[in-house]
Amino acid sequence: MLIELDGVGVEREGRLVLADLDLRLTERRIGIVGANGSGKSTLARLFNGLALPSRGQVRVDGIDPVARPREVRRRVGFVFQNPDLQIVMPLVHEDLAFGLRNLGVPRQQIAPRIEAVLRRLGIDALADRHCHALSGGEKQLVALAAVLVMDPGILVFDEPTTLLDLRHRRRLGRCLDELPQSALVVSHDLEWLADFDRILVLEEGRIALDDVPAIALPWYRERQEG
Amino acid sequence: MQELYVAGGSWLHRLSAGWKLLALALAGTLMFGLRAPVPLAIACLMVAVVVWSAGIGWRRFWTQARWLAVLTLIVAGFTAVVQDAEAGLVAGLRMASLIGLALAVTFTTTASALVDALAAGLRPLHRRGWVDADRVAFTIALTLRFVPELQRRWQAIREAQAARGIRANPVRLVVPMVVAILQAADTIAEAIEARGYPPEPREPPRRP
Repeated sequence: MLIELDGVGVEREGRLVLADLDLRLTERRIGIVGANGSGKSTLARLFNGLALPSRGQVRVDGIDPVARPREVRRRVGFVFQNPDLQIVMPLVHEDLAFGLRNLGVPRQQIAPRIEAVLRRLGIDALADRHCHALSGGEKQLVALAAVLVMDPGILVFDEPTTLLDLRHRRRLGRCLDELPQSALVVSHDLEWLADFDRILVLEEGRIALDDVPAIALPWYRERQEG
Repeated sequence: MQELYVAGGSWLHRLSAGWKLLALALAGTLMFGLRAPVPLAIACLMVAVVVWSAGIGWRRFWTQARWLAVLTLIVAGFTAVVQDAEAGLVAGLRMASLIGLALAVTFTTTASALVDALAAGLRPLHRRGWVDADRVAFTIALTLRFVPELQRRWQAIREAQAARGIRANPVRLVVPMVVAILQAADTIAEAIEARGYPPEPREPPRRP
């Protein structure tokens, strides 16, 4: 994975959300932390073109999301905070098929790919279930499966554990550990990020600290408590 | 509204959604051609056989059909009052047959199969540029998905207001509901976009 940000700034309604970010992200597991309103979610959205920079340039494996958004979205899967709003089809297997159909995957390949991903996450029994009837944890795993089935090389998670209980939080964490993809995770769950390769701490749209978890997480915790 | 599909392996489950919709349209047309109680009662009985053979289960069927049954009784009663008893019976039997058949189709067909069949049915109009078949089909699927979600939000707002001692009032419920829908719409739009929607435009059909 290689995501580069050169002088990236994002403004919304005259307010500076992100300011002059210069980053080169190559690590396999990167955590993004920060207080509410610090720009974490906007930063995450820059990685697959859901948010666009007001200035500067973003490149994902050399591709500009502004110029070639489809190609970037093929490479970068995005898991939202609330799976209720990410799951768009009534049945689990239909929801997984949605992304594949958008990619133009041949019909005969869709079912085997769905089956493989559901089995990999240990939720193959949910294939024919109604999405609205699943538990919060199951929904988040389905949302993850719906992204994984599209076979992205990079995964971006925007606070995926916020609505989960401890058991499902751990299960999602285990799933992520086993995934070969690179992952950028926005989270308030500092315990989960402790084994990551790199942590970005955001404050008021700027990178306040960029370091390994052993240094960045205690520093951030102290700032929050102080 | 819950999603109605019930997984199963009956002949009706196996029949393609396109054929089922076509049969439903033809049966509906035929029902309006029948004007006597006896043939309509026979049609009603045949619909009951179809529902039974689909393995849906009467309890599940009744859960969905009971409000429609009330509506059918109201229509039949009203027709009986303004016309006569036979006309009321005819209206009731016709409506019951159509509702039974429509429910049998929705109980045995997944939303995506229905949507695909609709898209295929709209394809000739799509080719003429009159409608965007894929967009219409996707809109229907999305609606089916989010109706239970909106119901849940409605319930949550009602409970939040009740907890603060506010009595249930449609006007007080509508405003937070609209705000919640607008907020959800933004995220849903992002989620759809993130998963590659809209797909690449299809190639135009090849001329022979």
